[in-house]
Amino acid sequence: MEGTRPFLRNAFIWTAVVALPITFLGCTRKKTADAVPVGVVLPITGREAKPGQYQREGIELAIKQINQNGGILVKDRGKKLPVREIFYDDSSDQAKSASLAERAMSSDEVVAVLGAYSTALGEAESVMPDRYQVPWITTGAAATTIFNHGYQYVFGTLSPTTLLGSSTAEYLGSLVDQGKLNKGLKLALALENTDHGVDYGNGIKQWSQQHPGYFNIVFSENFDLGSPDFSGLLQKVKSSKADIFLADAHLQDYITMHRQYLQSGMHHQMISYGARGPESDARKAMGDGVDYIFAGIWWSRNLPYPQVKKFNQDYKEFTGHDPDSWYPATAYDAMRALQAAIESAGSLNRTKVRDALRTVELKDSLLPGQVLKFGPNGQINTPFVIVQNKPGGKVDIVYPKDAATGESIAPIPKK
Amino acid sequence: MTLIDFTNLLVSALLLAGIYAVMSVGMTVIYGVMKIVNLAHAGFMMLGAYFALELFQRFRIDPIIAALLAFPVLFFLGAAVHWVLLRRLPRSDEPTLPSLLLMFGLWLVLQNLGYLIWGNTDRSIFTPRTLSVVSTVRLAVFIAAVGCLLLLEVILHYTWFGRSVRALIQNRYAALLTGVYEDRTAGIAFGLGIGFAGLAGGLLGSLYSFDPDFGRPFLIRAFVIIVLGGLESISGVAIGALVLALVETFSILFVPAGYQLAISFGLLALALIVLPGGLASLLAKVRRVA
Repeated sequence: MEGTRPFLRNAFIWTAVVALPITFLGCTRKKTADAVPVGVVLPITGREAKPGQYQREGIELAIKQINQNGGILVKDRGKKLPVREIFYDDSSDQAKSASLAERAMSSDEVVAVLGAYSTALGEAESVMPDRYQVPWITTGAAATTIFNHGYQYVFGTLSPTTLLGSSTAEYLGSLVDQGKLNKGLKLALALENTDHGVDYGNGIKQWSQQHPGYFNIVFSENFDLGSPDFSGLLQKVKSSKADIFLADAHLQDYITMHRQYLQSGMHHQMISYGARGPESDARKAMGDGVDYIFAGIWWSRNLPYPQVKKFNQDYKEFTGHDPDSWYPATAYDAMRALQAAIESAGSLNRTKVRDALRTVELKDSLLPGQVLKFGPNGQINTPFVIVQNKPGGKVDIVYPKDAATGESIAPIPKK
Repeated sequence: MTLIDFTNLLVSALLLAGIYAVMSVGMTVIYGVMKIVNLAHAGFMMLGAYFALELFQRFRIDPIIAALLAFPVLFFLGAAVHWVLLRRLPRSDEPTLPSLLLMFGLWLVLQNLGYLIWGNTDRSIFTPRTLSVVSTVRLAVFIAAVGCLLLLEVILHYTWFGRSVRALIQNRYAALLTGVYEDRTAGIAFGLGIGFAGLAGGLLGSLYSFDPDFGRPFLIRAFVIIVLGGLESISGVAIGALVLALVETFSILFVPAGYQLAISFGLLALALIVLPGGLASLLAKVRRVA
């Protein structure tokens, strides 16, 4: 009896060691078979927490609606399968973002990974999709560097930042054509030291070169993200005697820089912070100091499309708050584009889904132009809308004309 | 550049130096007495900013006064943290790995507490003074910062506690021999350091938007300042803060703004190589020669 006890104990331990993983493996496979596993990697803590949270809400609203309709029709399974979200918070950390995307692709057997808010986090994740041959749709990274490597599994629902720059310049050009601004005005550019900032500046420079006589760029400089003080940079902007001030900044830098801009007593005929401007946090931080700032954004809740109005309602019901800026819309459409691709592929095979994503057309897209289609490099090319903050907290779409909800106020009146 | 522009920049640099000094002084006091690099400093600054915001939003207390009130509250919090955690660390004359890990862990805990309580929304304190062209907020922040630094100098030079702190900074063993009660002094010094972090956070909250991740860029600059100042010198911190603010503000006129942080770290490297004792040691040498 003395000898049987250790044997029994060992047998029990070995049984547990072998049986438990098999049991869990079985569970995982069962879950995978009965659902469409989709990885979502976004920052909901850290520096990019807020936009990341909004993007998560957009994806989860889409998943909820898809599942309410029975799920995604997968022909080779002969039935609709619900979407199972596998969510990871990357804490706004590049290394974590890349490793979590890798984990989702390699361990979780996902059909695709969505997410990656901000260019920096998107760049970190973008090396993984081709390595693991899993489709990846970034919902919040737009820098062209991500899409110019010839990756085959990389997609994005944000138009390129160069287009943001050129759309900004085109809008200002339209104000010149309308006689609201004079020709030959001087531009000062302050760009964040990222690929996003570089692309934005390139877009403005390209448009200005293609349309000579409209603007002269008299100042262009990069700045560090999260800088506590912009007084020196703003002094240089002031010394350039520019007529229009265009910056490209993340939300916190936009707030810090514009506060110091207002405190310095500077005034320009037009002012923009790239894709930032209409955020409610900025108005809370600066009150009517944000009036007349214009921004080029990927989406506005004021777009006059019926699907946008329905999305606004659904989103508010789902989250308890209105969409703040463009963040949830590109994420919502990314999930719907993935649904369309899986249904078109009729399979959960990742390569087939990738092939389907290349040809998918979302014809009731929320984005400007209402059609979402990925280009040859995986990035969409929908136009930007230009919005302008108006007194009283109003935000109007002012460009393009067919989507406008109000007139541009240009030049900005002196207070 | 006109003389007015130059003066504007100089004033900006001075105001920035005041902010830099108040956020770095707490780290110096803690390092000097306990040889602990307080990586959780940014976390306590964040608590100070939210404390000021809560007082401002709930009771309409002026944010500068709220920042001053953050000092005693964070002081007691710091003393409690010392009593619960830090006094259990092994004593050393050099920063140790356990203390670094503990403070880093504490920072993460504070950050996550922040997310739990206040969420991840960007907050800011907006008053009618916020956007005034004559930056009264910056000026008020500067005055509060300098006033507190002067008060600290008085405490360090004219009280028993201050003399104990200075003795521990200069020579721990000699201080113990002369009857300095290390645990109590360290507890109060840590509380004082955290109090200053809270004050700095409260003051910075009037100038910047913040979330629970607040303080990271300031923490990096605080390292530069205390190394420049000589790690354990309060007056060195003031000089280090002034030098960093002047260099950051005026260097932008000659090099692109994108290199601002590189300049700060260049200064740090230079100080470590050329002036390992910091600006305070240089001043001491000059005084001796004179």
